[in-house]
Amino acid sequence: MTTIESGAQLAIRVHGVTKSFLGTRALDDIDFEVARGEVHGLVGKNGAGKSTFMKILSGAQPPDSGEIVVGGKAFKALDPAEGRAAGIAIVYQNPELHLDLSVAANIFLGAEPRKAFGVLDDGAMQKRARELLARLGLNLPVNKRLGDLDIADRQQVAIAKAVREEAHVLLLDEPTAALNKAQADFLFRLIRDLAKQGMAIVYVSHHLDEVLDISDRITILRNGRKVAVVDGKTSDKDSLISMIVGRTLDAVELHRTERSTGEAFFILDNVSQEGRLAEVSLTVRAGEIVGLTGLIGGGANALAAVMGGLDDRQLSGQMQLAGAAYAPASVRDAVARGVLFIPEDMRGRGLVMSLSIAKNISLAALRSIAKLGWLSLRKEHEVATEMSERLDLNPRAPSREVRFLSGGNQRKALLGRAIFANGKLFVLEEPTQGVDVESQRQIHDHLRRLAGGGASVVFVSTDLEELIALADRIIVMREGRIDRELSPAGLDPERLLAAIQTPSTASVN
Amino acid sequence: MTSPAATAAQPTLRRPNFVMALGVGRFTLLIVLLLIVAVTAIGNPRFLTAHNLLNILFQVSTLGIVAAGQTILLIAGGLDLSVGAALSVAGLATALVVVATGSVVLSALTGAGVGLVIGALTGMLVATNRATPFIITLGTMTFLQGVAILMSGGSPINGTDALFNLFGMGDFLHVPWPVYVMLLAIVAVFLVLRFTPLGRYAFAIGGNEEAARLSGIPVRRTKIAFYALNGLFVGVAGVILTGILDSGLPSMGTGYELRAIAAVVIGGTPLIGGRGTVIGTLGGVLLLGLVSNSMNLLGVGANFQSAVLGLIITAAVLLQKKA
Repeated sequence: MTTIESGAQLAIRVHGVTKSFLGTRALDDIDFEVARGEVHGLVGKNGAGKSTFMKILSGAQPPDSGEIVVGGKAFKALDPAEGRAAGIAIVYQNPELHLDLSVAANIFLGAEPRKAFGVLDDGAMQKRARELLARLGLNLPVNKRLGDLDIADRQQVAIAKAVREEAHVLLLDEPTAALNKAQADFLFRLIRDLAKQGMAIVYVSHHLDEVLDISDRITILRNGRKVAVVDGKTSDKDSLISMIVGRTLDAVELHRTERSTGEAFFILDNVSQEGRLAEVSLTVRAGEIVGLTGLIGGGANALAAVMGGLDDRQLSGQMQLAGAAYAPASVRDAVARGVLFIPEDMRGRGLVMSLSIAKNISLAALRSIAKLGWLSLRKEHEVATEMSERLDLNPRAPSREVRFLSGGNQRKALLGRAIFANGKLFVLEEPTQGVDVESQRQIHDHLRRLAGGGASVVFVSTDLEELIALADRIIVMREGRIDRELSPAGLDPERLLAAIQTPSTASVN
Repeated sequence: MTSPAATAAQPTLRRPNFVMALGVGRFTLLIVLLLIVAVTAIGNPRFLTAHNLLNILFQVSTLGIVAAGQTILLIAGGLDLSVGAALSVAGLATALVVVATGSVVLSALTGAGVGLVIGALTGMLVATNRATPFIITLGTMTFLQGVAILMSGGSPINGTDALFNLFGMGDFLHVPWPVYVMLLAIVAVFLVLRFTPLGRYAFAIGGNEEAARLSGIPVRRTKIAFYALNGLFVGVAGVILTGILDSGLPSMGTGYELRAIAAVVIGGTPLIGGRGTVIGTLGGVLLLGLVSNSMNLLGVGANFQSAVLGLIITAAVLLQKKA
């Protein structure tokens, strides 16, 4: 463990912070400190507690216990306003700004310079915005509408706003996820400059190379606990990976089952999409489960969207499904061909919360419960009851509204809809995100059973154990391309994470 | 709340304690209806006669037809503010045709067809633009009001006796024809909502449009169908109102949009969509009709009536069961 040399002033100190959700420890007794002028990296797997920790630091969520000392004051919990007053600012990968306001207006929102009688002083605001941006070395048009700028510029505006608010702790959450190399390099220079001026920066990212490059120190979280704090200048990626993954290899291997796979069912041939996918060729056989993974923005989600018919803009290349050309112009086309896309955000994009379990299950295949155009509610109830039994849906009450179900059961209901719609190719995003261990095991079993019955399953996941336990093949995507293909047999999470983090030299594809 | 999972799945909205204590909310409408009936029956014995009750149904018939169509839109997360103006246009078209041809059938088909076309065009605007239905139909409402004035030249179109004889005077088993049409509209919407894929799509689109899209529902086409269907109902109401008024007037539909939406919301359909029943809407329509009628019988002035109606609508929205 490294410590800050004595004499360095602390910008923020967190002591013994603990947070539980529904009885599960998300954060366990975390100590954390960042000195003025320090860039502090924060890394860990999905579910390690990074996001929860950031939410607590920014005041979006209160901790169950512990304290946060910032700006000379100790807090049991911060609310967002207190956090801002204490000098903490957070910038997300897609900054929360007002797209219809100008750059200057965004920077000065809530603290606009005023003239007599409270009239806004536009001239002074623009002048001060220009001065601030110049001081930060940013070349942005202060009068331009923010919505007309790209993500990188918006991020810079958000950072400038934080500086204007005299923040002395800046939290950056996956800031480079949507940036290209040049934009990222510019951001790093800006971060270093700000640190030199005394700002403390917490940098959260999955890109370990970046974190090693920019951080003075790095904190590693695993399963809600702080594993270590290491020096960013002397650490290497391998040691970070082993600390992120840990030595707690559970028995995921045991769940693996061998299945015989059939003929090629879904073929992608040289598929490219402007700025998202590049020359992707992939064959999925009947009865096969393929896992897609990679860093955020690597192309796994873009590929899933293309397969599910969600996005056919600027698409080139050929796709084939069951031996016939496949070019869905809409989700409806895809559903009609038996391709069912199941989104990660089940509440926002998957389920209709105001409807019952039965009505959610039947939604994509109403025709099969209709006779001469009229729905048979009795048949719907029967079908839903059957599906609930098949998927261990709890409770078995098809007329209950889905909003009353737990996350795991909501995911099962969504899977039930896809099955009932006669899915032949299931495309899932993070199929077990946020569900308990038991539901995760059940959902994995259902997907295996579907594949056993001859369906093809393609899932996007960032959960290393899930990829190894569920997939027959793991496809790692990077910059829109298939970077490499791995067999999960004998693969451990550590090597998988290393493969995700490091570009392959020779393409396996 | 029914289970621990329920509280976990969604933070419950807290409602004022006094409302909980009274146990109203879901039964607000029924309680208000009964109170009105009781107060009026005591104040004026004529109120509870079959003649008066039929009269109330007759008075609300066109509102009921318009509100039935609007129910589908609100459940689907939509809204049409132009129904009043569209009703005027459809009514005037009906009047012009019946004056020219004397044919009830031809004029009725014209009125219904005009409503259908206006609805379909409105639907296309709403389904293909990102602007909210509120703004879009506010625009078409103003446009259609202008069209109505142009069609009529600003004065009533008379000579519609054939329609008046049917819808203004005609009855079957002592029940006026417009009442049958309203009940038919309510039943039709009930069946569509409960037993057809189209109706199910309304709930799905209103509850979560993206989930509907990801389930392969043709969201745009379906929305256009809803607005077209709503337009058809408005057109039919225009035909009937022309008969009841025995003339076509450029202002004949004025205010229908707000009363129709109020009836739907009083009937328990939330403005955010995803839920609702047309039976509730019928209740809302009857409540508005009862209140007007009882205030008439109790001798309450017109200006005061408007204020009371406003209070009832506001109260109904505030008391609406939180979804």
